[in-house]
Amino acid sequence: MSKEIPVEVISENSLYKSEGKVYPREVNGRFTRLRNLAVFALLGIYYFFPWLRWDGRQAVLFDLPARKFYIFGFNFWPQDFIFLALLLILAGLSLFFFTALAGRLWCGYACPQTVWTEVYVWMERWFEGDRPKQMKLDAAPWNKDKILRKGGKYLTWGFFSLWTGFTFVGFFTPITDLGARLISLSWGGWETFWVLFYSLATWGNAGVLREQVCKYMCPYARFQSAMFDRNTLIISYDPARGEPRGPRKRGLGSVLERARGLLSNEAANAAVIKAAHENAAGNAKVHARATTALAVDTLDDSSAPVVRSNEDLGDCIDCTICVQVCPVGIDIRNGLQYECIACGACIDACDEVMDKMGYPRGLVRYTTQNAVDHKGTKVLRPRIIVYGLLLTAIFVGWMWGVMHRQEFIIDVLRDRNALYRTLDDGDIENSYTVKLINKLPKAAKYSITLIDAEGISLVEAPLEVSTSPEEVVNLSITLHAEAGTIKGRRDVILRVQNLDAEGTSRDHKTSFFAPVQ
Amino acid sequence: MSDMQVVQNDPPPRPMVQRLGAILWPSFFAAAVANAVFFAHIDPLVLREMTFPDLPLTRELGYTLGFFAFWACTASSSWFTWILLRPTCRFNQPLPPEH
Repeated sequence: MSKEIPVEVISENSLYKSEGKVYPREVNGRFTRLRNLAVFALLGIYYFFPWLRWDGRQAVLFDLPARKFYIFGFNFWPQDFIFLALLLILAGLSLFFFTALAGRLWCGYACPQTVWTEVYVWMERWFEGDRPKQMKLDAAPWNKDKILRKGGKYLTWGFFSLWTGFTFVGFFTPITDLGARLISLSWGGWETFWVLFYSLATWGNAGVLREQVCKYMCPYARFQSAMFDRNTLIISYDPARGEPRGPRKRGLGSVLERARGLLSNEAANAAVIKAAHENAAGNAKVHARATTALAVDTLDDSSAPVVRSNEDLGDCIDCTICVQVCPVGIDIRNGLQYECIACGACIDACDEVMDKMGYPRGLVRYTTQNAVDHKGTKVLRPRIIVYGLLLTAIFVGWMWGVMHRQEFIIDVLRDRNALYRTLDDGDIENSYTVKLINKLPKAAKYSITLIDAEGISLVEAPLEVSTSPEEVVNLSITLHAEAGTIKGRRDVILRVQNLDAEGTSRDHKTSFFAPVQ
Repeated sequence: MSDMQVVQNDPPPRPMVQRLGAILWPSFFAAAVANAVFFAHIDPLVLREMTFPDLPLTRELGYTLGFFAFWACTASSSWFTWILLRPTCRFNQPLPPEH
């Protein structure tokens, strides 16, 4: 059962050595099914949404040239940028909330990096087979079989990448039109560039870099531990039950059914350190790197239990399948590590082995540090409550804000060239440019009136403006005052009223200037 | 070997001044250059007209705000780089004990 994992030794200190490839072994089980479900749901959204229609236009379209975003029934203007900013804050807060509660759910199930990597790994397996076959193929000299397998993989990756890039651009320029123009090869320069760029980035991230993005480029991986405490749901190996690890003959029961029982926390940790040391000293296997929480915690392994007979063994049979299935190439038995993306592959792998051995499942499982240390787990902690309340408040505020957005925008700019203009008869005039934006996808009629301005009148009065759907109208208006009635600066208010909807009006304050003397 | 590995993988943290300097100084320089190039083409008073035409903002204030905005961006980037370059053992610490 215990087979050496053939791995290349990589010193952490050699800066110029490239990372050894991780060949994740195929695994089946509860969490794999959950992850597959997430892949289909999320990529389904990505590849399918641009093709949906809504009111005769693309349902989800980020029309950058027109500076408008359409998301189903909603349309957003640059002036609605605050909602995007709030949405990002909301996303950040949810990340905090879910991380504190249940660890790195984002990394394991939802991050585009994980999701696309998963799909690229599937495609790799179709052509090259599972882990051992892939390793053998990479080591083998180039022959017809290798060329066909690699060629097939790269061809599939290439097609999938291009489709991904095409879909990406399809969110910004109508996708049906983009598809139609592909046939006649009449894409614009920037459309072509972004399709190719996004394809290349997808291939690079999901096909080549993979776990290195998580380990060396991801900011979240670096700061997520700040949200962790001993009550956070993590994926952990149970050293008290598993140690001392080792192969054994069939027939030995689980420690849960034997007299030995569970180890103390101290003995269990020492046993893990001892196992890591033995691996490092013996053949310097990379999966036993001493970069783990436990090894840093205490390097003393003197209290590790000694194995005199099979009866002393724990439930871990040291089959290393949990290491082989790991997409980031770590050994979960070394404790919580920042490299772990919490995908749950090791849980499924270990459960399968436990089933074969006739041991209870859960040697590697979703748990909390407190539970591993045989203490009680507390779900409702202050940070959970604070994150939860903040999240709810901002979410409700955001929803309310989106539902109650202003239907039109009014902006008044004074004439930049002259403060005022004196007419022949001594009367004073000021010029303004009024920018009126009808944000709604339907025509509207507005009236502009001057209020609260004694002695000043609107030359164009009565002023009514008709706008087509989503039209931006620029109007020149003039305010007029009789000679000598106004001196210096006077605030005036322009009221814009939507004549189609009773009660929708907005005031805009601006200034009227006249000579001081 | 294993113990050697641990020692090598866990270099002592650099002094605070060195860390702050490595983050703040390059970003300060980059912000100064970006600020100079940006305001060589754009008048802060034009920006005022577009945003808060009623506030008495001067050119000097515009340049200052612009500089600190640029510095905030470049320093964030330097800070992020520093986080990514920290040794992994800084992150693989045991969870803090409960109080």
